[in-house]
Amino acid sequence: MSTLTLLAEANGSNVIAAAKAGDLAAFEQLMRQYERMVLVTALRLLGSLHDAQDASQEVFLKLYRNLGKVEASGNISGWLYRVTVNACHDLRRRRPDSVPMEDAGELRSREADPAEQSAEQERRCVLQLSLRMLSEKERAALVLRDLEGLTTEEVARVLGSSEATVRSQISKARVKVKGFVERYFRRHV
Amino acid sequence: MNCTDWEERLALYAGGDLAPAPAAEVERHLAECAGCQMFASGLRASLELLEGAHQEVPAPAHFAAVRSRVLAQLERERRPFWRRAWVYGFAAVAAMLLAAVAIWPSRWVAPPPPEVAIVHAPAAPVPIVPARPPQAGHKPRKKAEPGEPLMVRLVTDNPDVVIYWISERKGEY
Ligand SMILES: [Zn+2]
Repeated sequence: MSTLTLLAEANGSNVIAAAKAGDLAAFEQLMRQYERMVLVTALRLLGSLHDAQDASQEVFLKLYRNLGKVEASGNISGWLYRVTVNACHDLRRRRPDSVPMEDAGELRSREADPAEQSAEQERRCVLQLSLRMLSEKERAALVLRDLEGLTTEEVARVLGSSEATVRSQISKARVKVKGFVERYFRRHV
Repeated sequence: MNCTDWEERLALYAGGDLAPAPAAEVERHLAECAGCQMFASGLRASLELLEGAHQEVPAPAHFAAVRSRVLAQLERERRPFWRRAWVYGFAAVAAMLLAAVAIWPSRWVAPPPPEVAIVHAPAAPVPIVPARPPQAGHKPRKKAEPGEPLMVRLVTDNPDVVIYWISERKGEY
């Protein structure tokens, strides 16, 4: 976890205490602090913005109900990552047929040119789709390590598995993504 | 050693996940194996593409929507019963009924000589309403005392409306 995150967490302890005392404005501040992390991770795990929003909602409701536990653990990011992975797992079990690419167009894009934008969008879709080729565990490990930037040790703690298992999942996932990306771009570019 | 045996280590190496000793071993192999060099550069390229594709962040409105859904749910759950909507509705209806009673022509609110039954509490054969609820620790009084409250029952011409008037007696009345 970065120094910045740890600093933010030190400053956040007052906010957590206030939220725990029932201050909803403080809880809203806490949500603003972690919403990017939770929603983006859920989006990467689920591939659908709509589902990711539902998962985020569950995560934050759970956070509110467990503020005491989270405060005691002193590691709100780790707790949130773990609960987000679990919420996404539960949601996927409940909605196995959600369409992965439906929301790609809803993401903000930097490109102004429509032709360039659609090519960029397609490329993004393909890369997001590549995550769907992975098993759920491989995807979680890859998302947390390569996209969220956690260390393998942190990923292992979040996923509740050993570091050796996580390293094996990450390496398999990277090889699979490489294969998928190369097959797609060899055919389409 | 077959090059496919290097794949796992190359994949970890590409993401900087190897300790210095195994990383040096991989580098030695890469220096003399063109196939693994290609494999390693393919791994790096696809990782970069993947990271690039996931740089986009949903628009702020999508975050705000989650926040407001969560806060709305928490507000609903924590609202005490006297602040829930149905209580307001009920209170409003009750207030309207009271207002209607107050505004109604003086037909039964202030009846021109209503049928009045004055009942002196000590002598009341059947107390209609206990003047005071029995209290724990207080023994029921057997005898009426001079300060016993006076209860008046006003029977109006509306069968649903009976007015009780209970007043403290202060020796005389
Ligand atoms: Zn080789």
